Amino acid sequence: MRRLFQFLKRFRDFLVFTILQVFVLTLFINGKNYHSTKMTNTSSVLIGWFMEKKYEISKHLYLAEANKQLMEENARLRGLLPSSYFQLQGNTYSVNDTLMKQQFEYIPATVINSTSNKANNYFTLNRGSSNGIEIGMGVISSEGLVGIVIDVSTNYAIVMTMLSNDIKVNVKLKENNEYWLLNWDGRDKEIGQIEQVKRDVPLEIGDNVVTRGGDKQFPEGIAAGTISEIVSTDGEQTISLNIKLAVNFNAVYHVYVIKNLLKNEQIQLEERILENE
Amino acid sequence: MSNPWIKYTLFFIFLVFFQGLVVQNVNLSLYFNPMVYPLLIMILPFEFGVLATMAIALVLGLSVDAFSNGFGLHASATLLIAYMRPTILRIIRPRDGYNNLLTPTIYDMGPIWFMSYASLTLVIHHFWYFAIEMFRLDHFFFLLSKTISSVVFSLLLIFLIQYIFYRAPKK
Repeated sequence: MRRLFQFLKRFRDFLVFTILQVFVLTLFINGKNYHSTKMTNTSSVLIGWFMEKKYEISKHLYLAEANKQLMEENARLRGLLPSSYFQLQGNTYSVNDTLMKQQFEYIPATVINSTSNKANNYFTLNRGSSNGIEIGMGVISSEGLVGIVIDVSTNYAIVMTMLSNDIKVNVKLKENNEYWLLNWDGRDKEIGQIEQVKRDVPLEIGDNVVTRGGDKQFPEGIAAGTISEIVSTDGEQTISLNIKLAVNFNAVYHVYVIKNLLKNEQIQLEERILENE
Repeated sequence: MSNPWIKYTLFFIFLVFFQGLVVQNVNLSLYFNPMVYPLLIMILPFEFGVLATMAIALVLGLSVDAFSNGFGLHASATLLIAYMRPTILRIIRPRDGYNNLLTPTIYDMGPIWFMSYASLTLVIHHFWYFAIEMFRLDHFFFLLSKTISSVVFSLLLIFLIQYIFYRAPKK
């Protein structure tokens, strides 16, 4: 009889352990999913407050670097202004442009918490749904592609960065528009991977890879990286590419969240076609 | 501090904040990923029940998760070591058993015993954590080296914390 009780006690411990383990692992797997409720993360009000305070204390440490990045971006944009071009022909005429319609807006935000040494790395931003950020929006920095918003609260947002197992972004080769998916295998902070590349695509080390556009999140042509290595295995139909990522994820301070103004129109149109099928 | 539970509660808060706001933010390299909060599970009294340990582990793990976007991963690894703790203690039991007046800390049990205790616990914890985090088999050696290097740094930090926070008992 005592044996039985002993066995039951040990079995009860194991049962409780298994139930709790299933519970937390379900949380973990749901957490990596876009459209599911999440219990614990840094977008909650209390933790967000602590993160904000931590950022307030530590921001002075890298102010110089952050300012340098912003200045470089300003300089590049200033170079694109009409006033910085030398006029070759006579007068130019300005027209009220009715041919173009703005598609993308950029919401500036500051990174208040970040990691770059995990298998899934996230940023916490100090802007949330009150500033118009929604789940699924793309995020870029002045250097290039950063990631996708996976959760928002009123004042904070969580970004899944390119340094995550679960992220895949549509990218293409700048030169000839061949397009693939960019992902990360967790081995090196600076190198992303593209798999399933056909062998007959003309490419060289150093070619630029940019976002493809058309996936509702990123406009076309945001820098993603450059090809750093071509990995070909004998006997395989396809090759894979190592991409040196454009963004240094150790030093991202200010980012832009991309708002696609035509997103709903695109979704509606695409859904109508899917319904007809 | 006469009541040990006040001490444990304060230590809980300290560990969660230290892990969430300091250790978590040192992004040196993919191989450098120390975690100090398992120390709380380690230093619970010897005769502490498994169910109660697991309850503490769940709260501790979810609190650390909240600070680091772990979504339950820290809780999972902490639960595992809470469940394994009696087994680990049995494996490294001294010849004449445990004295219930003592606690599993450096000062009560000596650095050599504590070293083997902490490294066993941390290896299980870190290996589980990194294995679930990666969830793929083809990077097994990367997983091993990541576990070993992180365990070394965690051990260093845990020894430091013990020497800072625990005074030698007056004899």
